[in-house]
Amino acid sequence: MGIHNSINTGKEITLTINGKVCKSTFGKTIITIARENDIYIPTMCYLTKVKPIASCRMCIVNVEGVEGAILSCQEKATDGAVITTDNEALHKERQNIMKLYNVNHPLECGVCDKSGECDLQNKTMEFDIKEQPFTTREQHRPIENWGHVSYDPALCIMCEKCVRVSTEITGDEALKLQFGGYSSTIINTKKDKNYASLGEAAAVCPVGALVDTKFKYSTNAWELEKIPSACPHCGGGCQMSYEVKHDKIYRVTNNFEFTSLCGAGRYGFDYANKNVSKDKEAFSKAVKAMKDAKNIIFASQITNEEAFILQKIKERTGAKLISREARAYQKFMRAYGSITGKNLYSGTLKGISESTAIIVLGTKIYDDAPIVKYHINMASKWHRARVAYMHPLEENEMKNIVTQFIKYEPQSEEGVSALLVEMLLRDIDLPIKVQSFLRDLDIGNLSAESNVGEEELESLRKSMLKKRGFSLVIGSDLYAHPRATNIAKILALVEKYTDFNVVCVPPAGNAMGVSLICDLDDEQSEGESIGYNADADFVLSALGDASRHDNSLDMPAANQQEGTITSNDKRVVPMNVSQPYGGYVLNDIANALGIHAEYTIDYTPNLPKEGGFKALAFDGLPDYFDTMGVEHRGYLLDNAKVAVEDTIEEVAELDGFDGAVIYICNPEEQFSAFTHICKSLEREAVLLGSSQFATIGKISDGERLSFIIDGVTFKRVFKIDTFMKGTIALNPTYDMGLSTPLVSSYRFSKVEIQKVGS
Amino acid sequence: MSLEQFKNRNVGIHTYKTLDVGTPPNTGMEKFTQVVTRAVKGELFVGLWVVMREMINTLVKGDVHTVKYPFEKMPISPRYRAIHDMLRLLESGNYRCIGCGLCEKICISNCISMDTRYDEEQRKEVSEYTINFGRCIFCGYCAEVCPELAIVHGPRYENASEQRAGYSLFEDMLTPIDKLNLQQEYDGFGAVSPNADENITQTPLAY
Repeated sequence: MGIHNSINTGKEITLTINGKVCKSTFGKTIITIARENDIYIPTMCYLTKVKPIASCRMCIVNVEGVEGAILSCQEKATDGAVITTDNEALHKERQNIMKLYNVNHPLECGVCDKSGECDLQNKTMEFDIKEQPFTTREQHRPIENWGHVSYDPALCIMCEKCVRVSTEITGDEALKLQFGGYSSTIINTKKDKNYASLGEAAAVCPVGALVDTKFKYSTNAWELEKIPSACPHCGGGCQMSYEVKHDKIYRVTNNFEFTSLCGAGRYGFDYANKNVSKDKEAFSKAVKAMKDAKNIIFASQITNEEAFILQKIKERTGAKLISREARAYQKFMRAYGSITGKNLYSGTLKGISESTAIIVLGTKIYDDAPIVKYHINMASKWHRARVAYMHPLEENEMKNIVTQFIKYEPQSEEGVSALLVEMLLRDIDLPIKVQSFLRDLDIGNLSAESNVGEEELESLRKSMLKKRGFSLVIGSDLYAHPRATNIAKILALVEKYTDFNVVCVPPAGNAMGVSLICDLDDEQSEGESIGYNADADFVLSALGDASRHDNSLDMPAANQQEGTITSNDKRVVPMNVSQPYGGYVLNDIANALGIHAEYTIDYTPNLPKEGGFKALAFDGLPDYFDTMGVEHRGYLLDNAKVAVEDTIEEVAELDGFDGAVIYICNPEEQFSAFTHICKSLEREAVLLGSSQFATIGKISDGERLSFIIDGVTFKRVFKIDTFMKGTIALNPTYDMGLSTPLVSSYRFSKVEIQKVGS
Repeated sequence: MSLEQFKNRNVGIHTYKTLDVGTPPNTGMEKFTQVVTRAVKGELFVGLWVVMREMINTLVKGDVHTVKYPFEKMPISPRYRAIHDMLRLLESGNYRCIGCGLCEKICISNCISMDTRYDEEQRKEVSEYTINFGRCIFCGYCAEVCPELAIVHGPRYENASEQRAGYSLFEDMLTPIDKLNLQQEYDGFGAVSPNADENITQTPLAY
């Protein structure tokens, strides 16, 4: 932003567009103000969520006193400007632009995937282009298959939207422009990676040039029924629509103008529990099991309403509610709230994207929460944000945006948090209690223990001087840490005493919703247990054939039921039915136990107020973005007040791990047993480590290993990843079916690895 | 005919033509005379001779006017809309259908259902195609909308069946590859007009 632009930003201005007097503030572009006032300006390359591209020149307008046409997408409106958006000359100009776009555009609308929702078709009609008076020599440009997406250069109009999305939003930086006049083209510089995030780039393509390979030519856009929903995978609750024909989901689309969707959301849709009918015998068994169960173990892939039903069942039968990941998050957030006085963190995703410095602590954010990573990337691209990435593992995929990697030893998170907080709160007036806590920290010792150099933090501090707008992203390494509650309290000081935008990214699924609704227990009691998508004596499972169990009853998957989930933007968002389901649901079991409700969604208005939920009926929940991109999906959780209890314990000394360490981490686009079933996301689950890990663990590439974490036995092939360093290997859990939710202890662990004869 | 006349629905008798049929007999004598005249004229034998002649023609000369229906069929107008045919390209034998889905979209009785796929040659190919002839009303929209003249109405009009629903698959309607030489170009509903060439404006070519 130039100096003259930043002066007066926010000042009230008045301008006239097409004779209409428009009031707005300085700093906004002409097109933004026009849209605020419902004035239409045609565009081809404009994409609201990225910076103006200015390649199409369709948005030209006339400003009185300014010679020639100016681009309304990138020009900021000035006070008193008189603007005309349409006249004969502009119309002619736009017609000529459309003719240029149509040059040699293959007349294959009949088979093109985009036909019916194509910007080029629409605008050609809109500007009444009846004939094409000129042409150019055709060149041979073959279709390229890039894995998840394929690219047809002949159809490409070079609007650059995909390149901008790949750079500014998803940050994979795979797509680049290759200039060359008429033979300009888009190239994929990282074909071997097959990024699923390119699906987002394909979504913004206004023509049929960049399309999903699996969807390509499978149906026509107009045959599909759009069913609005929210993505249940990572806990982001991103906006999406299932596009359905004949009860089959063909693809997932999103409102790409204002919001983004990661590869898992876009390609992980075929996990429904199909061909289920009402099995009366299994149902009565399930009711009996539920009645007798001493423990209800469940995965956090569950709607708010279902979690509420389980809570009600607990109140009736007195069973223990066990959902370990959610429980860890609940305890963490309660400790966090005991300092801040609020039950939720204060940060937002938008806040992250507007930051000039971001600290990421205790999460492999690229794999854990793609949408958060996208927002970090936006901040990096738009505000050149400093990104400090604090984790024992370096992240190769984020090298392009991370300005400083700060590595620490596994299990030293408490010390790291204390060091970080001490650095951030150094020059701030604090209550004596906090001052004394910080003063008593043995910086030298903590630094030595955690392996975080004082000079590293010092350079981070320096880089943040003279900047404003910071974010702290906290991840799930900390939630299951043995010292989680104290870590939460230490980090909460940042939210309380600075204006940091703090986001405690919830673990995958609806862990946040569960933690706000259910009264979870720590320990299982003796006796029978029933599992919901988790292994137990009796199993209620939505995983279908993928996890057939002797004592089981089918349940609907997330895309087969109505309900709400809680997003990591603290929003309660509705999900709708996209796939038929003929079996019993959790509500039927609750009804049989005497907890009456006709439908599961009858519980939506009853979700606990003290958790921040509102008494709004499911059917009344809005689900749209308005013209200006303001989100109207469900509602935002109230950040309820909680009691303050501000004693912080001293940092405890924990032994570090030496030797080979295993880190529980699902690879990108994989979050749970549900994403594992999805065909487009298929990948082999392997133990991934560096060659150094292989040396220390005395194993070699391709060797079959066996080890036990949290009582779950993993049998894995070991693969060496040449990009990885250090002695920590990544162990996924997504392929473990019903056992996946049982693995929930601290993500780093030292385990005994046994070789299995191949 | 002007519009005024066209709108006049009171037909009246002003457009009737009267035939000269003489006057019917009134008295008893006149009636008697008519009967005797007709009887003596021998018109009966004229009729009997016609029957006799046809009988001889049929039995002896083998010259019949009726069609032995199940074994013989009358030629049918090209504009008649019967069971659909799926045509092939004459040169290559490939399907003409490009899987655009317009027939499915336009079908007002929702009897066409199709699935398409991305084939090995990077083209769109129709993978499943059915018409439910129990629902089809033979309106001809599908043939009219088809940009490739791939789906057309053929001459097969016998659609009696034992069930209400009767599905035909793509392959059932497709010209068999060995009978490609017998494939008739369709000039019925939706076919290009005889002067189609005159209506086409040329595509610009710079090279």
